[in-house]
Amino acid sequence: MPTFKSITIGQYIPGESLLHRLDPRTKILITGFLVVGLFFIDTFWGYGLAALYIGIAVLRSEIPAHYLLRGLRPVIAIILLTFVLNTFMTEGEVLWQWRFLTLTREGLSRGGMLAIRLILLIVGTSILTLTTSPIALTDGLENLLRPGKRVGIPAHELAMMMTIALRFIPTLLEETEKIMKAQMARGADFESGNLLQRAKSLLPLLVPLFVSAFRRADELAVAMEARCYRGGEGRTKLNELAFQLADYVVLVSSGVFILWLAWAL
Amino acid sequence: MKRRWDTRVMMEIAVAAALALILGMLRLYRMPYGGSITLEMVPILVVSLRHGPKSGAWSGLILGLLKLLLDAYIIHPVQLVMDYPLPYAVLGIAGFFAHQPLTGVIMASIARYVVHVLAGVIFWGSYAPSGTSPWVYSLSYNASYLIPNAILAAVVIMLLMKTPLIKPEGRKNGDRLV
Repeated sequence: MPTFKSITIGQYIPGESLLHRLDPRTKILITGFLVVGLFFIDTFWGYGLAALYIGIAVLRSEIPAHYLLRGLRPVIAIILLTFVLNTFMTEGEVLWQWRFLTLTREGLSRGGMLAIRLILLIVGTSILTLTTSPIALTDGLENLLRPGKRVGIPAHELAMMMTIALRFIPTLLEETEKIMKAQMARGADFESGNLLQRAKSLLPLLVPLFVSAFRRADELAVAMEARCYRGGEGRTKLNELAFQLADYVVLVSSGVFILWLAWAL
Repeated sequence: MKRRWDTRVMMEIAVAAALALILGMLRLYRMPYGGSITLEMVPILVVSLRHGPKSGAWSGLILGLLKLLLDAYIIHPVQLVMDYPLPYAVLGIAGFFAHQPLTGVIMASIARYVVHVLAGVIFWGSYAPSGTSPWVYSLSYNASYLIPNAILAAVVIMLLMKTPLIKPEGRKNGDRLV
C-alpha cells in the first residue's frame, strides 16, 4: 500500500502574475467560453489563433512549461489514438497507400485538428487550476451561482461544503496514514489476498476512519452553531471578490475574441 | 422560517466527500488499461444510506467538483459534466434503498456505469472517425474497472452494516452514533 508522502493535492502553483491576480470568476468564465468555443472552430487558422491566445496566457501566467507538459502526459495515448484513427480511417483524396493503410488528405486534416483541439483544451483548462487556488475557485463558483438561488441552487451551502472538504483533505490524509500505521503495528495486512480478503482487511482502517471523520463533522457543526451559523442568509465575508479594471478588460476582450474565433473560423 | 440544511448533515456531507477523495488516491489494484480499484465510492454510499439520497447526491456532487478543481481532464464540455460531478452524484440513489443496502449499492453502481458509458460514447462520438462504434468500447472499458469497484464497495458496505455507522433510521433525539 502506498504511503501518502508522494501525493500532492491539486495543481495550484502560487504566484504573482497577471493571471494569478485576475478574479477567479473572470478565469472560470473565460475557461468556460474556451472549452465550448474550441468545438466550433474548424479551420487550421482558427486553431492557430486559439493556440496563440493560449500561448500568450501561458506566458503571462509565468507557469514553467514543464508543469503544463506534465499535465499532457496521461492523455498522450488518447491524443495519438485520435490522430491515428482519424488520419487513416477518414475517406477522401488518397495521398499514400500501403496494404490496408490509406492516408487521405481529409483524414490528415481532421486528425490534426482533433489532436490540436485536445491539446489546447487540456492546456487551456489546466491554466485555470495552475493559477487559481481551489479555495478561490470555490469562492468564484459561489459568486457565479448566486443568481441561481431563485431557482433553488444552494450556492452558499455548496461553497461552504466544498471549502470544508478542501480544508479537511490534509487532516484526514494524516489521520488515514496514522490509523494505517497503528493497525499495521497491530499486525494488520493491507497488501495481500484476493479482493474479498482485502476488503475484509480494510475494515480495521475504515471503521476508525469513518468514526473519526464523522466525529469531526459533528464537532464542527456544534462549533458552528455555537457561533450562530444559520446558513448563507445575511452572511458577510472578510474578503469580498471584486472585479478590477484588468478583469473587465480581459473578460470582454477574451470573450469577444473567442466568440469571433468560434463563429468565423 | 424552517431551515433547509441541518448543519450536522452538511458537515458530514463535506467530510465524506473529502474522505472519498483521499480513498480515491489509495489504489488497491491498478487496472492494466487505466482505471483503478479504490474505496472512493464507500463514503458517498455511507452518507446516502445514513441521510438519504439527497445528501448522498450532494456529497457525490462535491466529490466530483473537488476532483474537477484539483486535477481535471477536460476534453469535451459534456464530458466535463458527465465525468466529474454526475457519476458521483448519482451514487445518492443508494439512499432510496436504505433498508436493503446491497440493492442500493448495486443500483448506484449501475447508475454510475450508465453515466460513464454515455460520457465515453459522447467523447468518442466527437473524436473517433465516423463508422467506428464507440458503444462496445465504452461498455467494456467502463465495466472493466467499475464492476470490481462495485463488488468491493458492496462487500465493504455489507461489512460496515454490522457496525452502527450505517443505521437506516438515522439519528434521532441526540442519539450520538459516533
